[in-house]
Amino acid sequence: MQEHFNQEIEDLKTSLIKMASLVDEQTGKAFAALETGKIELCENIKRKDLEIDSYDNLIQIQCENILALFQPVAVDLRFVISALMINNQLERCGDIAVNIAQRVKKTRDFHNLIADSQITEMGNNARKMLSNVIDSFIHNDLQLAKQVIENDEVVDQLNKKSFKFLVAKMKENPELIEPCSHLIVLTRHIERLADHATNIAENVVFYIEAKVIAHEKKLSRFNPDSNSVES
Amino acid sequence: MNESAKISVKDFNLFYGKKKALNNINIDIFEKRVTALIGPSGCGKSTFLRSLNRMNDLIKDVTISGEVLIDNLPIYSKDIDVVELRKKVGMIFQKSNPFPKSIYENVAYGPKINGIKNKNELDEIVEQSLIRAALWEEVKDDMNKNGLALSGGQQQRLCIARALAVNPEILLMDEPASALDPISTTKVEDLIFELKKNYTIVIVTHNMQQAARVSDTTAFFYMGELIEYSDTKKMFTSPDKKQTEDYIRGRFG
Repeated sequence: MQEHFNQEIEDLKTSLIKMASLVDEQTGKAFAALETGKIELCENIKRKDLEIDSYDNLIQIQCENILALFQPVAVDLRFVISALMINNQLERCGDIAVNIAQRVKKTRDFHNLIADSQITEMGNNARKMLSNVIDSFIHNDLQLAKQVIENDEVVDQLNKKSFKFLVAKMKENPELIEPCSHLIVLTRHIERLADHATNIAENVVFYIEAKVIAHEKKLSRFNPDSNSVES
Repeated sequence: MNESAKISVKDFNLFYGKKKALNNINIDIFEKRVTALIGPSGCGKSTFLRSLNRMNDLIKDVTISGEVLIDNLPIYSKDIDVVELRKKVGMIFQKSNPFPKSIYENVAYGPKINGIKNKNELDEIVEQSLIRAALWEEVKDDMNKNGLALSGGQQQRLCIARALAVNPEILLMDEPASALDPISTTKVEDLIFELKKNYTIVIVTHNMQQAARVSDTTAFFYMGELIEYSDTKKMFTSPDKKQTEDYIRGRFG
């Protein structure tokens, strides 16, 4: 049932692309508000997140139907499994966009802190990772997916720098404890966004190459001879 | 399923002699949809399929009660012309059964006995039927070849073309792909998907995956009863009845 099946797969792909572009739009708005302090940019962000949540449900049902009706194998099976996992990650990215927007009100009077702590740079990197990983999924671009995974390190480094910078600021001036605390939570959100993009990239690698590469580094540090559990 | 029923079956019972093979079947089959009938051997699904164009009339000792309405007309009524009924409700069997004649004659046979003599008109019907059956491209340069010389998958599509040539509205298919290899099966399944744009299709299949792949609605029969009938997606993800779930999970009995 090639034609029918292909149509279902295309529909699933379309849902994922629509969901991903909504997530991109939402994170874009949240970061723009953070940079400019214009809260009005995030006015509808919570309501819009409901659309992302609806896609989350829709995609889950689409995947269930494809698995139940067509019993896909090989690359088709990996596509559906990846779609389920990417769906999950995207939904969380949507939530993070809302979380970031909610911090804007509390941090908007501290522009200099935001600029000096490299939060903007961190945010730009995380967003770029997210949009690149979606492109890699749509275009089956393995190299781009691997590049996203490497970029996570950049965001992690920026996160550490931000943290140190903000802690130093708090020590310098206790009046900055509150805004700096908000900004630390914010950097945590951004760091999570990059992690989700990395997870999606790992799903893309799984889809294209049939290799499970999640936790590879950690596992090899723990047990250099093997990165898999004995089965 | 708020659609108009092409076939409406009401309180339908069928006996082979004293043995009840179908017990009080009530079902509406919708226009331009594929409805799959599934169930274990002997559950009555093929008997039910054959009831829809009165093929069971040919079997001795068959008695029925209840009604089968097609386009609101009771097909078991005395004034129904069975030949006309079977023109409207075509049938495809498990084993392809082309006539030992040329491809062209196989398809032209029905229209000819229905009185069409004009060569151009016949040519047009044959071509259109073969196109609809997704066989035209493979046979158009070899129309005089004997139908029996085609491959199994092609023979089955030839039988579908032959059924289409008399302009039916409903196609009954009894395990149409069970004797075919996977590639021919895919072709026949793709064809079914295409045909439902113009025809109402009822298909009996032992292959549950096939029912899942090709149909819009699925009816599960067991021991002569219609146990569950619903949207195929629902049937294969969250059926209402435990018997259905056990059957589709392969954990029956």
